[in-house]
Amino acid sequence: MALIDNEGRMPARPDLESLVDSYYSSLYQFAFSLTRNEDDACDLTQQTFLVWASKGHQLRDVTKVKTWLFTTLYREFLEKRRRQVRFPHFELAEVGDDLPRVAPATADQLDSGTVVRALGKLDEVFQAPLTLFYLEDYSYKEIAEILQIPIGTVKSRISRGIVQLHNLLTQGARASGGTRKDLHG
Amino acid sequence: MDSQRAKEILLLYRPGASDANDPEFADALEQAERDPELARWFEAHCARQSLVRHQLKHISVPQELRQRILDQVAGHSKIVWWRRPSFHALAAAAAIVLVAGLAWFWTRSNGGNSFADYRDQIVRGVQRFYDANNMDMLTNNLTEIRAYLAQNSAPSDYVLTKPMEKLPGIGCNVLKWRSNKVSLVCLDSGNKNILYLFVVDRSAVSDPPRTDPPQFVRIRKLMSASWSHEGRIYILAASGEEDVLRRFL
Repeated sequence: MALIDNEGRMPARPDLESLVDSYYSSLYQFAFSLTRNEDDACDLTQQTFLVWASKGHQLRDVTKVKTWLFTTLYREFLEKRRRQVRFPHFELAEVGDDLPRVAPATADQLDSGTVVRALGKLDEVFQAPLTLFYLEDYSYKEIAEILQIPIGTVKSRISRGIVQLHNLLTQGARASGGTRKDLHG
Repeated sequence: MDSQRAKEILLLYRPGASDANDPEFADALEQAERDPELARWFEAHCARQSLVRHQLKHISVPQELRQRILDQVAGHSKIVWWRRPSFHALAAAAAIVLVAGLAWFWTRSNGGNSFADYRDQIVRGVQRFYDANNMDMLTNNLTEIRAYLAQNSAPSDYVLTKPMEKLPGIGCNVLKWRSNKVSLVCLDSGNKNILYLFVVDRSAVSDPPRTDPPQFVRIRKLMSASWSHEGRIYILAASGEEDVLRRFL
């Protein structure tokens, strides 16, 4: 990682080029997962770094720069969408009845496009936490910071999102003629 | 812990990530070792999780995006230096020093109320305590500057020359000289140079300068030009020689 020196210390402030090199790919992938559109994802990624150029100096803890960038991108996404709908909150306990009934071997049917399309079919509230969950290996605490929601809400949304996603992928695989063995229940 | 509860917990498990170290998963993982059916489900679940994660991480990124970002940010950074946020923060802090400094400088002076006293003190003062970071108000909008000065009962009906009208503002200050309010309008004359325009009521001094031509006097590092116009005294000061000021008169 270019932002850490040889002794594992974070420099005072990363230069823009290092920052772009380190994060533009993962930011784009996050943006693409949210928008499912290359142009929109590029716009969001570029806008994120523009915001950094004008407001990045306000970030006091430079170890939080990655979280800051993802938070900024997500805010920009929300602003772009101008969503008015309040996010529903699901408790983790509600998930149990819907646990996925899917088979293990779907590798040959899945590609990035299929996964992103399936993500796009999820309830909106599940998309961002689930993408961060898979894409960046963020902890639930970090995801909660980025999305600015309670950690319990993060977990419940990811749980339900996984269920929805896997069901969608399974339906897609069934529609395309794959054989499935039900391993659940 | 029963298998159903363990399954609910393991649903959030990401193979290969740091989740294995999370104590919340430990009991559920132990339950999976005891329950073969749960173990099969968990194995399948891990395979799916790895697959989805792998595919998301392989979303292709447009090749030109990196350069587009750098180009766009570079273009954005070409905004004039005094509009940068870092400058604004510095300006706010330095304004405090300026106000204190100017107050001290002008109150300690015991000179008379001749125009030369006023001009020398105010132009020296601005060099001593003032730099580009010090403004009561920071804006490039000349209308806003005039409104701010009016709001603070400082001279705001000043007349800018045509060349000055075309310059972007930087900001302004309300100063005091012997109980007279002085408007200081800062204009951006390019190349990081500031034009300082001081305006005070003509009655503030006993011997106001002529209307025309302007009087040019160097005061330390600044060249100044002074004139009177419709009840106001104007002093324009800037780094450089007389010809620099003449461009704006």
